[in-house]
Amino acid sequence: MIRQGKDKASAFVLAAPLLILLCILVIWPIYLGIRTSLSNDLLSEFEITPAGFSNYRAVISEPNFWNALRFTTIFAIVVTIFEGVLGFLLALVFDRKFPGKRTLFSMVLVPIMIAPSLMAVMYRLILNENIGIIPGFLQNFGWDISIYDQKYIFFTLVILDAIQYTSFAFLLIYAGLQNIPQEIYESAAIDGAKYRQVVLRITLPILKPALAIIAMLRLIDSFRTFDTIYILTGGGPGTTTQTIGIYIYKTAFITGDFGMASAASVILVILLAPFMPKIIKQFRLDVK
Amino acid sequence: MKRNLWATFVIGVVAFVLMLPLLGAIYTSLRTDNAIASGPFVWEFDYGFTHYQNAMGAAGYDFASFFRNSILISSGTVILTTLISLPAAYSIVRLGFGGAWLLRIALGLRILPAVFFIIPFYKLFTNLGMVDSIRGLVLANTFVNVTLALLIFSSSIKELPYEIEEAALVDGASVFRILRSIIFPLMGPGVAAVGVLTFIFSWSDYLFAVVLSSSEATPVTVGAANFVTSYGVRWGDISAAVTLSILPPLIFATLAQKYLVKGLSSGAIKG
Repeated sequence: MIRQGKDKASAFVLAAPLLILLCILVIWPIYLGIRTSLSNDLLSEFEITPAGFSNYRAVISEPNFWNALRFTTIFAIVVTIFEGVLGFLLALVFDRKFPGKRTLFSMVLVPIMIAPSLMAVMYRLILNENIGIIPGFLQNFGWDISIYDQKYIFFTLVILDAIQYTSFAFLLIYAGLQNIPQEIYESAAIDGAKYRQVVLRITLPILKPALAIIAMLRLIDSFRTFDTIYILTGGGPGTTTQTIGIYIYKTAFITGDFGMASAASVILVILLAPFMPKIIKQFRLDVK
Repeated sequence: MKRNLWATFVIGVVAFVLMLPLLGAIYTSLRTDNAIASGPFVWEFDYGFTHYQNAMGAAGYDFASFFRNSILISSGTVILTTLISLPAAYSIVRLGFGGAWLLRIALGLRILPAVFFIIPFYKLFTNLGMVDSIRGLVLANTFVNVTLALLIFSSSIKELPYEIEEAALVDGASVFRILRSIIFPLMGPGVAAVGVLTFIFSWSDYLFAVVLSSSEATPVTVGAANFVTSYGVRWGDISAAVTLSILPPLIFATLAQKYLVKGLSSGAIKG
């Protein structure tokens, strides 16, 4: 129910704080970001001079930018699929009665409540070669492998990301499962359907729209992975695990080139822009 | 009825793996330095909680002030986010302000990579004199959380029966009066959901904190990460500090778990 007309003024007053926030923290920063990308703006120099498109040319011709973009894309896709599958399986197991369900539900949600950066500090602790429980445990089996080794680092990061974020996927999928009416399952059972058939033919198709949104949310969020990988590897060894976020952060605050970092941010947004209307549409936002 | 003990076992193993980092930190924080240095499975516990005392100030770290900063930033963000989003959501849903496009813009924000904003925010906050201040980080985190809050509030306002407001309108109540005396009290669950999620997410912020704070406003996330690099290998103290940093959102969110679950699923799925 929407009433319109005579309340226009109050409607505006109520929304005003949000509009002010959007102006100060969105529109103005977008302008600043674009302006910086067109300037020679170095942390080491006081003077800011116009640069035309030279920062854009510099970013486009820099292999590190493309490597970071490639790494981020592959990482985002892999973890989204991995965590989606794990979360779905977990939700299926949870979707029945079993002893200890409530306590275990709370325990499974714990990673959602832990800051990724604090999680990363704990990962460094339990993965530490000398004092960590994981290498200590593996050594019992004679496996003396370094988890940070270039060969395993991608695999390690995927597992660590899954520890942090599978709970998100699980929770959202589980909420979707709760919305499926029980009668559908009962009539399938009467028709003699096997569990596997029920999952593939009934549960999955019903959940499809929800799964699409969850996958997109995870994809967006993993695309901006910064904290965990930055604290764990700093983007290394070399630049092999440099995400686009780490690349931009380092270019701005370690190399000290704001102009180039801003150009990289703008290019990133331009590359993502074609996907945005599609994603927003998926949410089917209505005001009614 | 089947007891489904196998499900308990499977989920138990999963829960153990998910909690392993935290369990590892708690375990290390309770052991003596000597035991930590001798290897991960040397059982020698420290009954004086030395590492916790060190973390809270005995060893001269600034951790107590990081902790205070995190509490101020997170509670400030919860309050500001609610004050901004709740009236706006009411205006959008009930008064037709801006309509769906305003929600779409807000959602667009959620999709833009946060990293795009770090340089403009750094410049803007430097100009406004808000770098390394609690106010600045409250603003930055409000920006991050306002989308989810709008989505949750607008979906819960939609669920409220319109008749109560109509009756109040007939009695001549103003929109502001209705919002304060009718909507806000009925929005308890929505406010709780926004409160718990905003608290967790602003407590978890690292990216904006690392860019916008240097010492005065440093929260636990940045403080703990700096611990690892700057204090070398004092793993006992680090573990205690991290364990303490995790507790506030963990306790809050576990108590408000119902709202956390509802908020995440309504904010994400229904919109």
